[in-house]
Amino acid sequence: MPALIDARELTKKYGAHVALDRANFTVESGRIVGLIGPNGAGKTTALRAILGLTSYEGQLQVLGREPLRERAALMHDACFIADVAVLPSWLRVDHAIDFVAGVHPRFRRDRAMALLAKTQIGGKRRMRELSKGMKTQVHLALTMAIDAKLLVLDEPTLGLDILARSAFYDALVNDYMDETRTILITTHQVEEVENLLTDVLFIDRGRIVVDSSLDDIANRYAAVAVATQHLEAARAEKPFFERRMLGKVVLYFEQPNLEKLAEFGETHTPSVADLFVAKLSGGAA
Amino acid sequence: MNTAKWLVRREFWENRAIWLIPTVFGGLLVLASLFGGYQVLGVADLATVRTVVQAGALDGMMLIATAFFSVMSIYSTWYLLDCLYADRRDRSILFWKSMPISDTATVLCKLGVALIVVPAVYFVLADLTTLMMAFVISVRASAYVGSTLWRGELWLQIQALWLYTIVTAAVWYLPVAGWLLLVSAWAKRAVILWSILPLLALAVAERVFLGTHVIWRLQDARLWGYLAHAFQYPPGSANWVTTVIGHDAITTPVDLWRFFNPAGFFASPQTWIGAAVGAALIFGAIQLRMRRAEI
Repeated sequence: MPALIDARELTKKYGAHVALDRANFTVESGRIVGLIGPNGAGKTTALRAILGLTSYEGQLQVLGREPLRERAALMHDACFIADVAVLPSWLRVDHAIDFVAGVHPRFRRDRAMALLAKTQIGGKRRMRELSKGMKTQVHLALTMAIDAKLLVLDEPTLGLDILARSAFYDALVNDYMDETRTILITTHQVEEVENLLTDVLFIDRGRIVVDSSLDDIANRYAAVAVATQHLEAARAEKPFFERRMLGKVVLYFEQPNLEKLAEFGETHTPSVADLFVAKLSGGAA
Repeated sequence: MNTAKWLVRREFWENRAIWLIPTVFGGLLVLASLFGGYQVLGVADLATVRTVVQAGALDGMMLIATAFFSVMSIYSTWYLLDCLYADRRDRSILFWKSMPISDTATVLCKLGVALIVVPAVYFVLADLTTLMMAFVISVRASAYVGSTLWRGELWLQIQALWLYTIVTAAVWYLPVAGWLLLVSAWAKRAVILWSILPLLALAVAERVFLGTHVIWRLQDARLWGYLAHAFQYPPGSANWVTTVIGHDAITTPVDLWRFFNPAGFFASPQTWIGAAVGAALIFGAIQLRMRRAEI
């Protein structure tokens, strides 16, 4: 079965600025993939290309379609929240539901109503009367009521308080996600999504620097907290990053020789957040 | 088809001015006919007054239609300039583009709203206004007006005028609408300025460098040439009635039928060259809409 998203040499230039620089990645069906990168790394540009919102160079297939030319057809099977609070200020909540129900064959009104019922947002209210968090909740209710194969979320919980955030992620994993769906999510709150992701894509300056399943991270990366006396010996094993903490130095290794590293201290699999910092903090030590 | 219905409804939710402006305008006209003073013409001779009212009834109705159509033209122009720009400015385009609706459908629907739906709304409200005014005037000045205003044939002419004008104006102004859509889909700010300045600059550049006025004349002919193309003005007493009151003479058309010029309009190459240019501009607007998300 071909990949759900297949990007080959995906490139996007804005004048002299290269937002995406020959990025290669695939997203398989049934996964929850985090696209993670610092601001300006090309996350949003990559999502825009995937969703058919911008032109690009290189090859890109999403659900077997060419996004820019076939956006309308693609949106039958894919849905997205590309940014928070983009529902127009004049739109009424009930009209928004009517509209999506009218134009989207995969929209399930009852599910949207059930999601909205939990929020106490009245149907007659216009978006301009709602707080940013409430608008986000309306948009999430509309989007999660669509039976889509691919859901793309760009910073979905920005502006939500901590209760709403955790409720959102719970709903995403427990009520929404099943083996027929795929979720691509960007966020800079890595810790928040770490536990629900099955795969990560790290993007930096337009290039994919890590493309791995979470299970694979344990095989591919290791971190060792090294006491100072072993530091030189450990450095000989070519860590790609080191970080000082509490009198020790944590060294990060790719394709580690775990037996060798164990001589310097206790090895552990870095968390996604730590790996992110290690990978994107400017190369090898 | 279902999608088109929802796209049009969405335009009504966003642009309540589509029906608010003509409703208020019509309301003011009705109020004016209710409370406005009226003056019987200088001559008190009832027969003469009746003749004048009879001759002027069609003129009066045309005046109301023209007033509505003028307001509508201004509104539609603004609507076309705004419709592909507003949702890029407030970023709601990111929501609309998440729906399975092609950019072609979106742009064509907005074009249809500007050229057909909005004029149709004005048509209905102009009719309602005219009916109410005719009723008010007939009651208030019944001695002079009598049943003059209630001739079916008179009303039929006004309906025909509206329908004929909506169709022909939509075709004639297609290049203008296409240009406005293109600017609306392209500009990052100052849509009004961008809609005027490039055309003006082209005309001025032509004048300065070539010493000719071709572009200026083309623009001028498109903007103001509509009436000359869609209507004809046959001379002669068979077509016009002149009513003399004292020292004044009022000349009014006998009826509107002889003024419509559909054969001339639809046979004119200018009509179809313009429509082709309009189609090209609309195609350009769709391409821009595909490639531009938010500002």
